[in-house]
Amino acid sequence: MREATSARVAHILREHGFDAYVIHGGLRAWTKGSYPLEPVPQDDVVLLPSFR
Amino acid sequence: MGEIVSLLEKHGYALLALIVFCEAMGLPVPAALGLIAAGAASALHHLRAEMVLIIALSAMLLGDTVLFILGRSTGWTLLGFLCRLALNPESCILRSAESFYRRGRTTLMFAKFVPGINSLAPPLAGSMRMSYGQFLRLDLIGACLYTIAYAGIGYLFSGVIEAIAGAARTVGRAVEWFLLLAFLGYLAYRVHLYWKHRKYRVVPRIQVAELAQKLAEGEQGKMIVADVRSHGYYDPGATRIKGSIRIEPNNLLATVKDWPRDKEIYLYCT
Repeated sequence: MREATSARVAHILREHGFDAYVIHGGLRAWTKGSYPLEPVPQDDVVLLPSFR
Repeated sequence: MGEIVSLLEKHGYALLALIVFCEAMGLPVPAALGLIAAGAASALHHLRAEMVLIIALSAMLLGDTVLFILGRSTGWTLLGFLCRLALNPESCILRSAESFYRRGRTTLMFAKFVPGINSLAPPLAGSMRMSYGQFLRLDLIGACLYTIAYAGIGYLFSGVIEAIAGAARTVGRAVEWFLLLAFLGYLAYRVHLYWKHRKYRVVPRIQVAELAQKLAEGEQGKMIVADVRSHGYYDPGATRIKGSIRIEPNNLLATVKDWPRDKEIYLYCT
């Protein structure tokens, strides 16, 4: 199922009283529409081991 | 096996190349049986042994190179895809990557003998930025071991090929049943997923254009845009929707416990 994670999270949030929605198409659709993006902050980046 | 030998006699090297290439690409094709049959055909002078080795190695390295490039170009998408079924995808990705980092070089040499790992190792090496030269050297060693082992078995045991073929036919029938059951199991799993996720289909959605318009009209204060990708941050240069924040899905309720209930929350993943 597409948007599986966001739909699951939105469903849980709605069950807890939040007004949650899923962005249809996710980041891919947002990027395709040329809407503004920003780099993920370094604190959120988890770089995995690399041979280089 | 008998059928494979017969086919190899007719179509020879092209069929061998196709079988080996398809297996290297991760398709469920019995390349080991193809190599054994080619080894037997070499011993019986239907094929030339040196050509069998050259063609098998070339096809294997070509398939592995395609997967290596795929891993290099898609970053962690492939590993993320493979870890989707794990209880904790985040942990699965981290553990798999660290394990391959520690044992990757050895793994590449012996991966071909382990179904599943054989098609996972080349893209992992690509994702983890192993140099192509190093990858090719290790993969060549692994491909030589695999090809010589199975073609060698066929060559050495060509005299008893009929006995082996008889056993292979029996095994083949068992494999057919296994594949049928595996396919039915997969179908049942997809139905289970569809049933399990049906409640998520009623969650309201917003189109990106509509959300962009809300943000352009200055409604940021009334909403939270949240990124819920659980494995989206492993490549340098990763981007996200401007102004969004990250929610870790595995730690969801602890993260949002103090959030105001009057704000709209817009969620996205990849």
